[in-house]
Amino acid sequence: MNYGIDRTTAAIWIKFLNNRLLKYLRKGGAVLAAIGLVLVLLSPVIGEPISPGSLWWIEPVAYIGAGVFFLGAIAAFVSVQLASRRQGQNGGDRSWSRVTQDYFDTFAHDMGRPLRRILGKQREVRALLGETGEATPRMVTELLDEIEQQAPNFRLMIENVRVLVDLEDEHARPAVEPVDAAAVIRNIADRYLPIARERDLELVWWCEPAEFGLVYGDASALDHVVTNLVDNATKFAAEQIEIRLTRNDSHFLIRVWDDGLGIAESHLVHVFDRGWTPELSARREKQSSGLGLYIASSLSERCGGDLLVESKQSTGGDLNEHHAAFTLSLPLDNRPTAAR
Amino acid sequence: MTSKGISNGQKILIVDDEHMSDLMRSVLRRLETDGFRPIVVAPEGPHVGGDDYEAQTLFAMEEERPAAVLLDVRFGEYDTDRFKGLSILKKIVERDSSMPVLMFTQYAQGPYRDTAVTASLGASSSVDFIDKLASPEEVVLRLRRLIGTAPETIRIGSLFEIDAENAAVYVIEDGKRDLIREMQGMKLEILSELAAAYFRSEGELVPFSRLERFSEGDDSRASLRVRIRELKVSLGNAVSRDFGATELIINIRNRGYRLVPPVE
Repeated sequence: MNYGIDRTTAAIWIKFLNNRLLKYLRKGGAVLAAIGLVLVLLSPVIGEPISPGSLWWIEPVAYIGAGVFFLGAIAAFVSVQLASRRQGQNGGDRSWSRVTQDYFDTFAHDMGRPLRRILGKQREVRALLGETGEATPRMVTELLDEIEQQAPNFRLMIENVRVLVDLEDEHARPAVEPVDAAAVIRNIADRYLPIARERDLELVWWCEPAEFGLVYGDASALDHVVTNLVDNATKFAAEQIEIRLTRNDSHFLIRVWDDGLGIAESHLVHVFDRGWTPELSARREKQSSGLGLYIASSLSERCGGDLLVESKQSTGGDLNEHHAAFTLSLPLDNRPTAAR
Repeated sequence: MTSKGISNGQKILIVDDEHMSDLMRSVLRRLETDGFRPIVVAPEGPHVGGDDYEAQTLFAMEEERPAAVLLDVRFGEYDTDRFKGLSILKKIVERDSSMPVLMFTQYAQGPYRDTAVTASLGASSSVDFIDKLASPEEVVLRLRRLIGTAPETIRIGSLFEIDAENAAVYVIEDGKRDLIREMQGMKLEILSELAAAYFRSEGELVPFSRLERFSEGDDSRASLRVRIRELKVSLGNAVSRDFGATELIINIRNRGYRLVPPVE
């Protein structure tokens, strides 16, 4: 719909005018228009005393009043129009997120196709090598393993993009469903065990109590946050990764611990920043996009929980005394009170 | 990779139009290695669509009585068949609400989870989702958990076998089982606990809190350490070996113990 304001001009103005400014403009315009109207109506009463005994001033006062009225009315009209456009644009943001998700779902299948083929061929090669009955050279198995390990990497990357789009939608609400938290952690441990083994890392997980039971929350978000934490741990651990699931009266806690060199105190505040990566040796291929922990932290917040980091770096004396640990805490029951 | 018990030829129905792909072939191969009998649903005809798969799947369910179904979400290249797997899933669950179904989605936590699917399923249905890129090992592991039959025997590597029902531990030599007489009472209980965790998930550790009941005295950890040592000696004697600190049953950073199948 065209409101009589040039589209591009409007777009520029919308950018510069925030909601509060528009509100003042609307109110100011209305007041100005009212003053104008009063001037027009009272022009005989106001004009006459200016030059007593003459009607000369009545006309200019009426004209001035009319001018003020139109000025105020235009200001109010424009501000109302701009405000409604702004709202429309915000609404547009929401649908942008949804449209992107739709596109994403549609093309997700095609995006994964090349990788599915590469992985399939790699597994076929492995099977064929196994059938020959001869021992496969270690170098070849290592190369095949390397290809295989790109799969979880890719899975996480694609899922990160999907969640990132979802996080843009301020109105999206996390799902609330019964979740077997121990099963979610178990599946992640199973997925990362081969990767850990390949990097000579020991990955263990456990839950206390043994029969952990159900929690009410977003299974997909839980899986995603913990996957990012475990993925991060596999990049920095020296020998050990631990995933521990525990609970208190109101929350369940997942602690992902690794015995890596730890995070410098000055870096701790930046760990959850979008795009932040530690300074790794430039010779190595960059392993992190700096999105994983940002997403993990934002997603935990959306689910009514929080993500904390704690780290210790070695202080010369005891070289083994270093670690990094992320603790995710989420409510045991995230259902609205009325639904319980 | 060690075999964790034999699946006694349980039938698994494979419903995926890409069952000839390398990726699916590797899954089929893994299923066979682990003792399952994969049955592939493959309708014939010039223009096979999602509906043909649906009809054939329901027919095969009656005919073959599988232990579980492995089902893809997407069928064919037509947009109408994009979520055909979900409607097949619904039909399967309608016929048999307890049928374990493992669904292949594009991603582990796709948009399918929170859509109509979960809403349409009853609380008793055992349906799980897995990424199509998952390794064949992961697929079989999840499938086995979904079927949920606790094995009567758990194999630890190629050397030992625990028979939970008869409360016995055997050493396996040249395909023959020999009872290890020393393994009974508390030693057997500790080993069974560790083996059960190992069977559930290879990375699962049994924390001290769950093993405390096997200890005595003021220093429960020290007492437990002695018991574990005795256990390792008993098993070691049976195969004339001495299992070191990093073999068979290992202490993880004083958190608990974990079973590691011995290298032959």
